[in-house]
Amino acid sequence: MNNGIKTGLFLCDCGRVIGKRLDLEEIGSRLNGRDGIISVHAHSRYCLAGGLYELVKTVEAEGLNRVLMGACSDRIMKERFMGMLRRFGIMESQIEMVNLKDHIALVHDNPRDELTYKAEALLAGAAASLFCLEPHPPTHVEFGGPVLIVGGGVSGFEAARELARNRMECILFSDASTPEDALVSLLRRYPGSRLFADEMEALLKDVYCAPYVTILPDRPLEYLDGHTGDYRLGTVQPDGTVEEISGSTVILAVDRKFAPGLKPTIGGCGHVLDQVELEDNLASGAIRSGRVVFWVNGQGNGLKFQEMSVIAAWNNSQFIVKKYPRVKPTILYPAGVRLPSTDESRVGERARCIEAYAYDPDVHPVVQSGYVTFVGPGDHLEHEIKWDNLVVSSEPCPISASKPDLIRYLPVFADEIGIKKAPLKVKATHEPVKWPIIAGSAMEPCDLSEALRQGKRAAREAIRLRKKARDGSFASPLMVVSVDKDLCQGCGLCNEICTCGAVQNIRPGKGPVPREVDPHLCDGGGSCAAACPYGAMKVLNNSSQQLEARVRAVISHMKEKDVLGFACGWGAQGASELAAVRKYTYSSRLFLIPVRCLGIIDPTILSMAFLNGANFILMAGCTPSASCHYGYGVDHTWYRVSLMKKLLGMSGLERQRISLGYVEVNEPDVFVRMVESFLSEVDRMKPIDRGENSRKLLLAAHSTLHRPRMRWVLGASLRRPSEPRFPGNQLNAVDFDEVVQEVLEEEYLAARIVGALDGTRSLNPPEIAGALGERPIIVSKALGSLVEEGRVICEYRAPYPLFSLPRAV
Amino acid sequence: MITLNINGSVVKGLEGSSILDVARSSGISIPTLCHSGALEPSGACRLCIVEVNDGKRNRMVASCLYPIREGIDVYTESERVRNARHWILQMLVDEHPGSEKIREIAGAYGVQESAFRSDDCDDTCIRCGLCVIACKDVAGIRSISFANRGVKKEVTTAHQLPSPECVGCGVCLYVCPTESMERLFAKTRQLAATVEGRQP
Repeated sequence: MNNGIKTGLFLCDCGRVIGKRLDLEEIGSRLNGRDGIISVHAHSRYCLAGGLYELVKTVEAEGLNRVLMGACSDRIMKERFMGMLRRFGIMESQIEMVNLKDHIALVHDNPRDELTYKAEALLAGAAASLFCLEPHPPTHVEFGGPVLIVGGGVSGFEAARELARNRMECILFSDASTPEDALVSLLRRYPGSRLFADEMEALLKDVYCAPYVTILPDRPLEYLDGHTGDYRLGTVQPDGTVEEISGSTVILAVDRKFAPGLKPTIGGCGHVLDQVELEDNLASGAIRSGRVVFWVNGQGNGLKFQEMSVIAAWNNSQFIVKKYPRVKPTILYPAGVRLPSTDESRVGERARCIEAYAYDPDVHPVVQSGYVTFVGPGDHLEHEIKWDNLVVSSEPCPISASKPDLIRYLPVFADEIGIKKAPLKVKATHEPVKWPIIAGSAMEPCDLSEALRQGKRAAREAIRLRKKARDGSFASPLMVVSVDKDLCQGCGLCNEICTCGAVQNIRPGKGPVPREVDPHLCDGGGSCAAACPYGAMKVLNNSSQQLEARVRAVISHMKEKDVLGFACGWGAQGASELAAVRKYTYSSRLFLIPVRCLGIIDPTILSMAFLNGANFILMAGCTPSASCHYGYGVDHTWYRVSLMKKLLGMSGLERQRISLGYVEVNEPDVFVRMVESFLSEVDRMKPIDRGENSRKLLLAAHSTLHRPRMRWVLGASLRRPSEPRFPGNQLNAVDFDEVVQEVLEEEYLAARIVGALDGTRSLNPPEIAGALGERPIIVSKALGSLVEEGRVICEYRAPYPLFSLPRAV
Repeated sequence: MITLNINGSVVKGLEGSSILDVARSSGISIPTLCHSGALEPSGACRLCIVEVNDGKRNRMVASCLYPIREGIDVYTESERVRNARHWILQMLVDEHPGSEKIREIAGAYGVQESAFRSDDCDDTCIRCGLCVIACKDVAGIRSISFANRGVKKEVTTAHQLPSPECVGCGVCLYVCPTESMERLFAKTRQLAATVEGRQP
């Protein structure tokens, strides 16, 4: 009858801390037998050796497959219990902990029976959630294929060498077909690297000769699909056809390109050069003697680039001293940037005739024919240096323009600094593959040696993953999103929303095929699942159904003035627990349900809560963008809450019944203030009238949120906050909001009409309009489109057409 | 099961558990600062000191680390224990006069600040390392650790810089017995690179 679900309820007294405020025996007797709870146990401290022994013994003896604990914080204690219970095949999702200590016993002053009742409510919710849990074990992958090194950067060669040394195959996509070509392009991308040309030649020779490396030159990226362990890269062959190459993972090695510097404004044809031209001129013999002044300019590009320019100037100076003794290098660098040498070595360099002068960056140096004037940072006096050749810094090119294909197909984005991965900060023990592994100066300005180091590090990451896979310990996290292929319509909304890169791209031209999610990449934030218009996505081991059951169970215990709260597992939950440690108290009217991320909450859960008895909802999340651990979960929640507010308004209720708050984990005081403020606000409102009329309106709101069209429009508004534009032609927030409002009104009216026609009644338009209190003309219009959609059928009987719901076949 | 005497009464405990575990399970209170049920004990604060007679001699041990043995006599509030605890508290309260929690325990034992009281009221960290253990065992990362030794010992991040490893789970804040983690937390936490703020 209950699918073999055996839940054990364990109540921890925590050394009388909990027992002093709550009646644990009473809670146990009331919950025993509910939602799969087959036994109730209590202990003074489950965290100590004796308690752990009791827990393990009970789980083993009773063959429990769900463990519900009424104790303290799951953030702290769950790991310890997991350590004991893993060997009984219990997964992390099968243990649910309700924080009786920090959410009830320590923070409320209410009488014992009230707190006992509240504890019962929260535990009943968790039991209902466990009852709905369908355990899915983590997935393992093979990790045998070659590593695909894309992007054509220098760090890719170092990665390839490191992989070859470790006998791991790799396929390198390079711009160059021979080591010589590769060397030329490489030297151009890292000014000042000519000093290391011999080492680089050796590296390239190694890579081109290595048996484990395949080099494919000139293959633009066409598409990328697949998942960790099995990626398929579509590349355009020279004849235009697309070849598919598979590999186990992808290393992205991209170098930044440089454009000529300030030359056009300076002029001085032939004698004012940038670093690359200088190297060319030296090699061709155009410069044989005289003074070469390296002027490190380009303040606008930031300190990092200036440091790179100084390193380039320094390396080139050394190169000149070594190879061209008649050329005298001088470096003119801004005072804020350090020279890549110590004081002692500078003495040595001076002996070798490299001169270096700092200039005050506040006063821009002035270039004249043959001289450059600068102001010394110490004496504030103008000085002049004579030049025969002036070398200015190269200008970095923006990345987004040069590598649009990579940015489109890989989960990376480019900002003004360089290529970045979407910020992902989940628990370290959940380690999703840090993919794609990126290296090279495109991420952040760096010199050649750093780029090579990054390449090596990237290769070692791939090797580590292979080792993990061979050990069999390369398992996906438990709570990841999965797509029901039968329900998925292939609309691609999830792909737009996903920040972790787990929702796979599909091949261009394949049409609306069902999406797949890579469990090894998914962070389990679940905002995509909550946005899916067709309900095809689901967070495994942490589904919407579980949350819905939990909310229902908690609401059924709530009184009229109570507030349903959702707490983000990182920000608000931490703050609420810290509030207890810091001895804050607040009203017991808040029934807090911790969730992983607020983004996981499907909008229908909010409407369901209002429909089923909740009068007020507080959503406590973390601070947007900066600290959301799942990209933009809390931002997405904002749009859902906003939509719910609209629906409340349209149902004749106060918009303030639902509110979103932001709190950081180290701000318990903020959490308490937030709760008290919301509670004082809701005190001004009356409980929702639970009459027939009001129920119908809320039911219409609830079914509106189930409509794919509504969910699509809502989903489209969940863009990443970095994107300045909204989808479609809408350019600004108000316009887009009006579109949402329009769709919402249409769908809401349609839902109300369907609600009015419930059962077998046939009504004519004036009757429906009367029942809804709307103007007949609006209702007739809506009825027209409902008939077109097939949601309502129409029969004509004079003088009016009669509408009714289609009968179930 | 192992039988032992605590303060004259017979109690039983599992093999391998510590005196503190058994005492707490039996409702005998022993003061602690650096003990958390979620973490392995480290015996750093020494407040849980008790007197143990194993039939041969009397010894002062940290009860959070001392595994129980058959037939030992444990005294949690003997004259000797009270004296040792008095001095431990005296040093703690003089070293960290700003800590509310330490004052509270000290007050319960009648310990007042002495003339040797430190002037630094901001430093409430007792270097118990609970946060370091929590970061390693619960969060599964090592974004904070001890640096330096002796009087210069402190909890800090690598190179004293914001830690890129820190995921901001706040476990360290929760376990810290003296609320001193708050200052370090703000320092440790490096917010994930923000792409851009929310657009209007």
